[in-house]
Amino acid sequence: MAVQKLEISPVGRVEGDLDVRVDIEDGYVVNAWTKAELFRGFEVILRGKDPQAGLIVTPRICGICGASHLSCASWALDTAWGTEVPRNAILARNLGQLVETIQSHPRHFYALYAIDLTNKKYKNSPFYEEACKRFSAFTGTSYEIAITTSAKPVELYALFGGQWPHSSYMVPGGVMCAPTLTDVTRGWGIMEYFRTNWLEPVWLGCSLERYEQIQTYEDFLEWLDESPNHANSDLGFYWRMGLDIGLDKYGAGPGKYLTWGYLPHEDKYQKPTIEGRNAAVIMKGGVYDSFTDTHQMVDHTFTRENTSHAWYEEGTADVHPFDRTTVPKEINTGDYEGKYSWSTAVSHKDLGRMEVGSLARQLVAGGKHGESWQHYDGLVLDMFKKMGGPSIHLREFARMHESVKLYREVERCLREFKLNDPWYIKPTEKDGRGWGGTEASRGALCHWVEVEGGKIKNYQVIAPTTWNVGPRDGNHTRGPIEDALIGIPIEDPTNPVEVGHVARSFDSCLVCTVHAHDAKTGKELARFRTN
Amino acid sequence: MANVLWLQGGACSGNTISFLNAEEPTLVDLITDFGINILWHPSLGLELGDDLQQLLQDCVSGKIPVDILVFEGTVVNAPKGSGEWNRFAGRPMKDWLADLSKVAAFVVAVGDCATYGGIPAMEPNPSESVGLQFLKRKEGGSLGTDYRSQAGLPVINIPGCPAHPDWISQILVAVATGRVGDITLDEFHRPETFFRSFTQTGCTRNMHFSYKASTQDFGQRTGCLFYDMGCRGPMTHSSCNRILWNRVSSKTRAGMPCLGCTEPEFPFHDLKPGTVFKTQTVMGVPKELPPGINKKDYALLTVVAKDTSPSWASDDFFTV
Ligand code: SF4
Ligand code: SF4
Repeated sequence: MAVQKLEISPVGRVEGDLDVRVDIEDGYVVNAWTKAELFRGFEVILRGKDPQAGLIVTPRICGICGASHLSCASWALDTAWGTEVPRNAILARNLGQLVETIQSHPRHFYALYAIDLTNKKYKNSPFYEEACKRFSAFTGTSYEIAITTSAKPVELYALFGGQWPHSSYMVPGGVMCAPTLTDVTRGWGIMEYFRTNWLEPVWLGCSLERYEQIQTYEDFLEWLDESPNHANSDLGFYWRMGLDIGLDKYGAGPGKYLTWGYLPHEDKYQKPTIEGRNAAVIMKGGVYDSFTDTHQMVDHTFTRENTSHAWYEEGTADVHPFDRTTVPKEINTGDYEGKYSWSTAVSHKDLGRMEVGSLARQLVAGGKHGESWQHYDGLVLDMFKKMGGPSIHLREFARMHESVKLYREVERCLREFKLNDPWYIKPTEKDGRGWGGTEASRGALCHWVEVEGGKIKNYQVIAPTTWNVGPRDGNHTRGPIEDALIGIPIEDPTNPVEVGHVARSFDSCLVCTVHAHDAKTGKELARFRTN
Repeated sequence: MANVLWLQGGACSGNTISFLNAEEPTLVDLITDFGINILWHPSLGLELGDDLQQLLQDCVSGKIPVDILVFEGTVVNAPKGSGEWNRFAGRPMKDWLADLSKVAAFVVAVGDCATYGGIPAMEPNPSESVGLQFLKRKEGGSLGTDYRSQAGLPVINIPGCPAHPDWISQILVAVATGRVGDITLDEFHRPETFFRSFTQTGCTRNMHFSYKASTQDFGQRTGCLFYDMGCRGPMTHSSCNRILWNRVSSKTRAGMPCLGCTEPEFPFHDLKPGTVFKTQTVMGVPKELPPGINKKDYALLTVVAKDTSPSWASDDFFTV
């Protein structure tokens, strides 16, 4: 049978605009390309600006994970300037990131992902009618409560940062706020509301304590059968329907995973350095290679970018972000053999292309590497092995699984604040190179900054979606989402819901990705502008 | 019922995400109670690929009426005015905007990018971005100074980086319920109901402003952020301290200087070295004073304010 080419522009309901081309043969995808179609050049804008400009500009790279950008921007300057960060400030920064992610996960699940369970493809599933009742856009019973309740956690952000999104309350040396007991108590109340109105009754159908007892896949299945409340909670329902419609059967990806680790510990990272970071984060970083079943540590120097198939004119070699000489290609026609995306191809120097995001974080959380006091959770790794590897279904589960753990971290931060202790220690501005890494809700995020002569010489960002949505690299290896699309069934090419499932399961965020590329010099760009 | 079509150009999605935080009314209330029908939205819409392209064509041809076209993000013109660096549904987004703005009854620009060009249009503006009817303070933008929507209005601008959810939802409701006549627009087409007063209106540090008690550094519970920390609250038209953010706070309440994000000059001084979170002064006097105050009166006021300043003005005011 002939190969059928399907161009989807845009895929929709991923953050930003993603275009996909898939080649279909006998009902299955045999080749795939993902394209990012927007260029804004944030890093060009940052060049020559105030060293702290990144604190204002980079959260605007992405309105969805602004706290993560702000966090990276602050930690990057902290390492460049050699600051001291008081423990209150470390907790306050972590808190901001935590509530941003806790807000993001349900919004992703309901607004972007679960709507597809109401797609006509599934009308013969015994779960279909109930799925429509719960997950229909705007009118679904669970849709409404999840969208509304997910606005709550970021109220806590506003108590510390003034507003969410787009506050710049984190600065090198600490934070701008000095909250009072009132703020902490209100914040606590807000999170209780979130827990008792959505997380426990709607999502889990049980208490956090009961859910936390689940350690293995068997425990999970037992939990599912234990009570109708569990089976019929949104998690229980989603799990059962997902298996019924085969979401556990496709969308695997490259099988190698990376997380930078995040949430620096308030007592272990007060004098931040790039080298000291791995041992100081609560959620440990690492790489998991599922083919060899091994975990190893991460280091930002492993990062490589390749622009062979991206709209830049800077050769075909793999380079470290500090060495990028990015020059956008003026004519950006899509050539699937050549250049076809504004995203670059990111890889690990030794291990190649990597998937990032919640699944990566959870598979690394199951590793025995790292410090004894760092977070360990073996559930998703256990499921991964017993279910035969990655899938859309497991990726989505891993994401929602995080909510409970992150909720507990919020509680811990609120308990640990010592309100009369300092929130900020004024640093001395100086030249230098810095690196700040974290985990945005959609995966590994990092900023590289170089300050020279009191201004930004170079600012580089690699966003989570740059990893996931990148095009082919110098070896023609597909990007992770491209890879995950291979072999998936397309039941009806006029209704390619399966492509949407795969793209959305990565929670890809194009706005971040496409902003994260720069041009070599302002001059080059001026040439494009004025001619 | 009002059909809303929401598109994003050079955007970060921040206005969409902010909008999802709306509570009175919520996004869902808008749809179920206020007669708003979201034809399509990048994060919420159901159609993809060809189906969406068809829907957009039907809007352009008039088959599907567009009552409100909401635009978020800049209009990208690079390279060389072609707009190819931001393609959407098979063609440059700026071409979709040009076609759709001709048929829309009302056009609403949400956020600084759509309003004035925002951060992407900052020097050197690599994406050749402009707002819908302005580039910074300059009139024109992508649609031109004379642009009027089918209902006879210019683009309604809701600036802010991002715009506050209530600013967006209340304008949508006003339009959908036929009350747009109650709204007056200022010289930047901003609804005066939100943008006549200043950020400072309602700021909890106002008394410290009056007594010239300055916040010395970040992480303090006292003082005003105007004198040293670069707060633009007195010069910025916004309702951030009246219609609180996320219902609970504002930047200045939390100790962060206002960046003036509802004004066309944001980000001020193009973030040149030495301008971030620092008040620009000449011989100790702020270069920019609140509108309507002259330098001489200000100097006089300073003496009086300092003399009358009560002892609590430098205490830890909002104490634990
Ligand atoms: S902190 Fe800013 S907004 Fe508040 S009173 Fe001072 S100058 Fe005005
Ligand atoms: S306080 Fe100032 S910077 Fe913050 S949102 Fe309001 S106008 Fe914008």
